[in-house]
Amino acid sequence: MKNLKYIYLFAFIAAAFLLLPVMNGDYLYTIQDNSIFISGHTFMMDTVQHAGGWITWVACYLTQLFYYPWFGSTILILLWVAIYWITIWMFGISNKFSFLALIVPLLLLYHLLDYGYWIYYAKAPAFPFVPTLTILFCLLFTWGILFLTRNLKISWRWKGLLALGLLGIILVIINWLSPSSPWRFNYNYRHSIMTTLTDKNFRHEMRMYRALDEFRFDDVLKEMPSANEKAPTNLMVMYKNIALMHTGRLTDMFKTNNCGINPFKNDSLPFYTSQLGAPLIYYQFGQINYAYRWAMENAVVYGQSFRNLKMMVRCAIFNQEFDVAMKYIAMLKSSIYYRDWAREREAWMANSTNFIQHKEFQTIAPLLGEDINMLDEDEGHCEKYILDHFSDLRHATSPLLEDVIMCLSLWTEDGYAFCIHFYDYVQNHPNQPIPELYQQGALLYGNNPDAPITIRNFKFDTVVSEKYNRFAEDYNELSQQKLDTQEMAKRMKPAYGDTYWWYYYFYTDFTIY
Amino acid sequence: MNFRTLISIVALAVIMTACNHPTIPTNAQQESRLPRIYPDYTEVTIPCNICPLNFAVQEGESEVVAKFTYPGGENLYGEEQNVLIDEEDWQNMLKASIGKSIQVEVYTKKGNDWKAFKPFNIYVAEDSIDSYISYRVIQPSYVAYERLSINQRNLTNFEEREIYNNMSVSTEETGQCINCHSYQNFKTDNMLFHMRQGFGGTMLVVNGELRKIDLKTDETLSAGVYPAWHPTKNLIAFSTNKTGQSFHTKDLNKIEVQDTESDLILYDVDKNEVSIISELDDELEVFPTWSPDGKKLYFCSAHFIYKNDSISKETEMIQRYKEVKYNLYCADFNPDTKEFSNVEMIYNAADSLNQSVTLPRVSPDGRYLLFAQAEFGCFHVWHADADIYMMDLKTMQVQKMDAVNSPRSESYPTWSSNGRWIMVDSRRDDGNYTRPYIAYFDKQGKAHKPFAVPQKDPNFYTFFLRSFNRPEFMVEPVTITPQTFTKKAKEEAVKAKFVQ
Repeated sequence: MKNLKYIYLFAFIAAAFLLLPVMNGDYLYTIQDNSIFISGHTFMMDTVQHAGGWITWVACYLTQLFYYPWFGSTILILLWVAIYWITIWMFGISNKFSFLALIVPLLLLYHLLDYGYWIYYAKAPAFPFVPTLTILFCLLFTWGILFLTRNLKISWRWKGLLALGLLGIILVIINWLSPSSPWRFNYNYRHSIMTTLTDKNFRHEMRMYRALDEFRFDDVLKEMPSANEKAPTNLMVMYKNIALMHTGRLTDMFKTNNCGINPFKNDSLPFYTSQLGAPLIYYQFGQINYAYRWAMENAVVYGQSFRNLKMMVRCAIFNQEFDVAMKYIAMLKSSIYYRDWAREREAWMANSTNFIQHKEFQTIAPLLGEDINMLDEDEGHCEKYILDHFSDLRHATSPLLEDVIMCLSLWTEDGYAFCIHFYDYVQNHPNQPIPELYQQGALLYGNNPDAPITIRNFKFDTVVSEKYNRFAEDYNELSQQKLDTQEMAKRMKPAYGDTYWWYYYFYTDFTIY
Repeated sequence: MNFRTLISIVALAVIMTACNHPTIPTNAQQESRLPRIYPDYTEVTIPCNICPLNFAVQEGESEVVAKFTYPGGENLYGEEQNVLIDEEDWQNMLKASIGKSIQVEVYTKKGNDWKAFKPFNIYVAEDSIDSYISYRVIQPSYVAYERLSINQRNLTNFEEREIYNNMSVSTEETGQCINCHSYQNFKTDNMLFHMRQGFGGTMLVVNGELRKIDLKTDETLSAGVYPAWHPTKNLIAFSTNKTGQSFHTKDLNKIEVQDTESDLILYDVDKNEVSIISELDDELEVFPTWSPDGKKLYFCSAHFIYKNDSISKETEMIQRYKEVKYNLYCADFNPDTKEFSNVEMIYNAADSLNQSVTLPRVSPDGRYLLFAQAEFGCFHVWHADADIYMMDLKTMQVQKMDAVNSPRSESYPTWSSNGRWIMVDSRRDDGNYTRPYIAYFDKQGKAHKPFAVPQKDPNFYTFFLRSFNRPEFMVEPVTITPQTFTKKAKEEAVKAKFVQ
């Protein structure tokens, strides 16, 4: 066939579009969210002073285009097409063997998809474009040498060697000129392409994060898999509960698949919530200083990003640190896709009424609690800190905070704290119905001889107390049959899977990471 | 139109554009206030050898013209919102203005209307400033660190160079943190800086020769932390510290850095020996600094008794962090016998003022002592209430340096070699990022309004996301290359010996 090289190329383009924007648009969006490009002299000089800095600077610019995954992918695929054609031209590859020219673009595609969860941990900036641009530069350089030496009567091989030699010399000179930050081939061994391509939770997490970041709580909840699907990750459970909290449905937390698992892991990458989502989680819980802290820590270790800058703007505005907020806003205003976001925040500072009336403030403010400062440390465990912090709070300054205190003391299974909160709750809501979840908690923990309260005088709904009695009977019956816990959990799930009791007795996979 | 004509027109257009000098608007409306410029160089006093004070005008206007009037002439500058001064012009202006001032008139344009702001002066002192400063470039981070360096900056131009960068040796597994740097008498042939964790050790330059020393001994708390090189002898006073960090949930100071224990040690460079200066049980001694004659050692110390045996010192320190307040002490020192005597508290900030003193530095003439003071603690860079104070060592009177301070944190004061310039680390710009500010200190002992170390790009500080910590003056650059430091950093450190 005469047109084989076109057929190969179109097949590659189709596959690349399928694997990038069609299947992995969220992945690409998240990559750009974790990248940065600031127009202007300071960012440019800061980037180009390192070996390979100019390529990195261009790559940073291009990576931000993944804000629209189709657009960024198109640019990247066009560069791969250029590599394909230059390779064919330079090496004089015949039509029949033109598929060989696709080896490099295919490896680059593989490289991009092989990051999985590493996208949160990659320290190399703009990694989707840097290898592509570097290879393109080398090819164009070699092409230039071949062109300049076209009249020299030396063999093609010698010309190739000359090009390679010159390239090597250039690399050594650049490395020598950047003595304090030399190239280091610090390749992290990854096996994450399967995570990227097949792990649904990985995608759910990315979508949930974005929805939460944009305060689209219903969209967060839509991403939660149903009880029959694959179990969610603990991070998804946290995102889900935040969405429930901000939509007034936190007491549904144990009815909505609260049993998380650890993320799918097929390489040596350690997972930490602090890197995956801690700034946003802290922010959504009104822990402004800690949200700022983790945005800063992540920026220090993994490089500055739009994600971190946005969080730092939000925290600075909440803390009324307007000067530093303006600093970060000035940077975001110089970006292509975040300038409107930044201008909106700039307007909030000019007119605080706009901010106070905005959904973001209205959502977070009820969680700020009393203005009591504490000197503390989360030791890198965001979830544990949040659970313990709110379980230990004694004074709720808003109905939302009251629910958070109750529910999080149940979540963390701190029966003692829950009993005290329950007592306060009942005192604060005389002659009002008590949510079923709280009754379930009180029946469970209040029957403990060490409980700080006695529940005899509380009027529980008959439905709830009867259900609790049935649960206890069924549990004892299955225990006597000497079934293992998993089997018991399975048998009791249809009747009690949406209760706190079932969660308390049968869910043991909650892991801090 | 033929090709040659086209080329000529294009060339002419390029030349015309290049020659498009700003002009003074004739119909500007006069404003009665000063223009908002960044960095703020209005009414500052500058050294006669400083680089140009480029600035941005923050009036939200589209075009800016600044007229610089000096004895013997005037110059106009303006590029969009920036005022970028030609370096040669600037040197001429400075030369002509020594002991006098340069007047700056700023004009801004919005639409077709021009505004003229109240002119301001830049006073040019007769005193020059040390040509170099060095500082640690670091993000205002909490626990994590990654890329940080010690850089040196030539103040007479915009040249900046790395002295040492931790990324040249550190990897994921062996990340390295760089700590305080210090020079003997503002010169660089005797200098040091400390590295922690991966390839840790103290890098010591002795008469131009590079060494790597491990100052941690079994008898001391840690390796050397806050250093002070004796002005005449090859001796270095260090603090040794057990330092921890914790984080405020609401307070905008955000971070508390605390020493649960600290002592003072003396390192004899020639003998490679460490000895104790002070290690009192209930005292947290820190921040040593020498008098210029080397016969006195000033330092800070907080009296702190741990009361609760059931919890760790770290936990108790976190619970009682506001009780930690440092006073200022002075000890006599005999450089020949290396003996300390007559330890005396010279400033009781804790009990009498309920304040905490840190980072003392004596002026080169021995007359004044600068320090940073705040309500509590030792790490004032994170304390918004921290201000610079000065003690007159003749009268022992202390005064707050109002001209130098801002509502935000000022810390780490230091003197130029001629004692006419003070440099402080200030967070006045945004409360989070420290920038080096320099203030003139005249012969009458009066400090003048400080100015930010000038940058070629006036918006540099806005877009630069790292702090400049521990700024120090130097009369000459560090000539040892980063490669040499890196090579030495990878070597094993020589263990220091402990002597009683």
